[in-house]
Amino acid sequence: MIGFKNAINKLAIPCFINDASQVEQLIYTPECKGNLSVYLHKTEVKQAKKVGILANISTLRSLIQLTSENQLNDIEKTVITINAQDEVVVFENMEKLEEYVQANFPEYTEEDKKLLEQLNNMTREQRWQYWTEQFSACIKCYACRAVCPMCYCSSCTVECNQPQWIKVSSETTGNLEWLTMRAMHLAGRCINCGECGRICPVGIPVHLLTAQMNLDIEKEFGAKTGFSCKSGYALNTFKPEDKEQFIQ
Amino acid sequence: MSEQFEPKIVAFVCNWCTYAGADLAGTSRTKYATNVSIIRFPCTGRIDFMLLMKAFENGADGIIVSGCHPNDCHYTSGNFHARRRWMVFRSLLDFMGFDTERITFSWVSASEGSKWASLVDETTEKIREMGPFTDFNKLDYSTFEKISNDTITE
Amino acid sequence: MEIKNIKQTQIPAFFDQLIQSGKVVIAPVLKKSGKVFFEPVQSYNQVATDYIQTGFSAKSVVFPKVEVLFSFKKTEDGIEIQDSIANIPETIVWGLRPCDGSAFNYMTEFFLKENPDTYYAARKAKTTLIAISCAKADDACFCTSVGLNPGSTAGSDVLLTLMGEDVYVEVLTEKGKAAIGISASLFTNGNEKSKDDYLAKINTKFSLSEIEERIKTAYDRAEWKNESMGCFGCGACAFACPTCTCFDIQDEGTQNKGQRLRCWDACGFGQFTKHASGHNPKTNQTERRRQRLMHKFKYSVENLGIVSCVGCGRCIRVCPAHLNIFENILNVTK
Repeated sequence: MIGFKNAINKLAIPCFINDASQVEQLIYTPECKGNLSVYLHKTEVKQAKKVGILANISTLRSLIQLTSENQLNDIEKTVITINAQDEVVVFENMEKLEEYVQANFPEYTEEDKKLLEQLNNMTREQRWQYWTEQFSACIKCYACRAVCPMCYCSSCTVECNQPQWIKVSSETTGNLEWLTMRAMHLAGRCINCGECGRICPVGIPVHLLTAQMNLDIEKEFGAKTGFSCKSGYALNTFKPEDKEQFIQ
Repeated sequence: MSEQFEPKIVAFVCNWCTYAGADLAGTSRTKYATNVSIIRFPCTGRIDFMLLMKAFENGADGIIVSGCHPNDCHYTSGNFHARRRWMVFRSLLDFMGFDTERITFSWVSASEGSKWASLVDETTEKIREMGPFTDFNKLDYSTFEKISNDTITE
Repeated sequence: MEIKNIKQTQIPAFFDQLIQSGKVVIAPVLKKSGKVFFEPVQSYNQVATDYIQTGFSAKSVVFPKVEVLFSFKKTEDGIEIQDSIANIPETIVWGLRPCDGSAFNYMTEFFLKENPDTYYAARKAKTTLIAISCAKADDACFCTSVGLNPGSTAGSDVLLTLMGEDVYVEVLTEKGKAAIGISASLFTNGNEKSKDDYLAKINTKFSLSEIEERIKTAYDRAEWKNESMGCFGCGACAFACPTCTCFDIQDEGTQNKGQRLRCWDACGFGQFTKHASGHNPKTNQTERRRQRLMHKFKYSVENLGIVSCVGCGRCIRVCPAHLNIFENILNVTK
């Protein structure tokens, strides 16, 4: 069972219990922001065969997106959430989970909306200045990749060294390539849990890149991530009628 | 007299349409700008966005991406996938503040040799006016890197 | 060791004189995100004072996140190689915590004991460490459990302890003396006194000697699996840690010019132990996390005689899952 427990400094951290006697540790508070579905890719969890997961709304969306990408076929999972009325809801199957998510589909947070608006109102040069300054701080710890449930590739592009696509060293151009590549690989798949931006040790709002991508993809192609188990992925499907203005 | 800036343009083209079109421009002895280096792909669907970034990093001032017209792709649907990819990539580049005018996208078929020539000419002129691409000039590796993340002013 | 005093109100003047002396001054700066990081500063009003611990340590001063070891360029006459340690500026690091000062001792032992690392040596020789004792701590601090305390002088060149209107100044080395000498008129001679009333009170989480004893037989314990379950395998803890010194060497460039770089690496990464043959002796995150903790509390003791954890708590604060190193250690040695 994967859930949250209390920790020092008033933090809510992931906890893993495999005995009913340990259930007392589990908590569910507004502090429980983490996206626990990322642990479903761990070999130790997959070995367990039967997994329970206490999900907040972001986690539920990731479960839907992962199911649509066929990543959860070999785990027998029981998904539990706590709804707005503080009741425990156990989902019998993915359809019920989908219904719940579609009924409670989350908006972007006020803070993110404000930042996105600020960025979109800047001139192009100002945006470049903002992002390159952010990227110069990146230390390539890959915590953003580690905490993302959609980053489940067993062999990530950054680990390829023939050729070395993404530089190992952390300098601005290489950091820009890394974060651009990550945003593109997640465009149309990211479910906007915001974890990557929240846990970045140097405070880069990485989640805004994919948040903007998702807004654009929804506008152009009508696709919403983490909405339906059959949604597929916006960038590996197409419609002949897709329209753009910039191809001569 | 100062030398005129000669932009370096890299062209990512598909083998079946645009490359053949460029070939036609050649066999027709069409005169056009020599600033372009062509990289041949089997299909635009194969063109990875990282390659564009690498081209800029390695000294390109401008990029042309070109392939078969929609519905004419040699592999049926490769250019449709490419089209979606470019729409999303361009949107990301613009959001990050990169000047998307430096990348020109087009559909050039095997019979459009003259279109290819005028595309290269126009792009070369456009990039010449924009000047060399210097946005990626690397930071010096200083003794102590500044960690800064508060440029947005309220 | 000399004891000096300076009025708290004179600290900004001392600081600004350090800057005017022409040295690079690195100090904690508060960022908009609320986190505090070490950065080069130009005046005392940029310096953060009301915080518990910086996000990252100051190890980048002597062990940068990216360091050019040398660069080469092809010319008409052959290949020109440029060494990189010629131009290191004199640097002062202000506002270290005592735990960070002690971490420099570990790094010096690690880099200079056998086969001295010329790059580290060159940078360390040009660095002066001015530490400030801790009046506050949070639940992630545990320096008292690893043989240190909020007023420890280990590793620093000068230690400042704020005592109301006065600042108790312990001048510990020749370098410290030179730094104080820049503003000699602001300081008066002082007498030794106890700092205890002005230091944070941190309860010990464990007895270090007991842990060191019990960890010798802890390698095969089943508890490691549960303690490591939360670990995602990123590098945040290693990069934030003041004693993590693992690095990767990368060559970047083209046929005509390039450079050899040393960059930070982390044992949490899946590929860290991968061999050229493709074999990876550490196949899962449990083994990697176990390696990290065993290194901090056992292997560094065996190799260098020092526990390499200084109890700063940065790994706990920066971890995406907030894995707690002292809780983990207690649970695997119960």
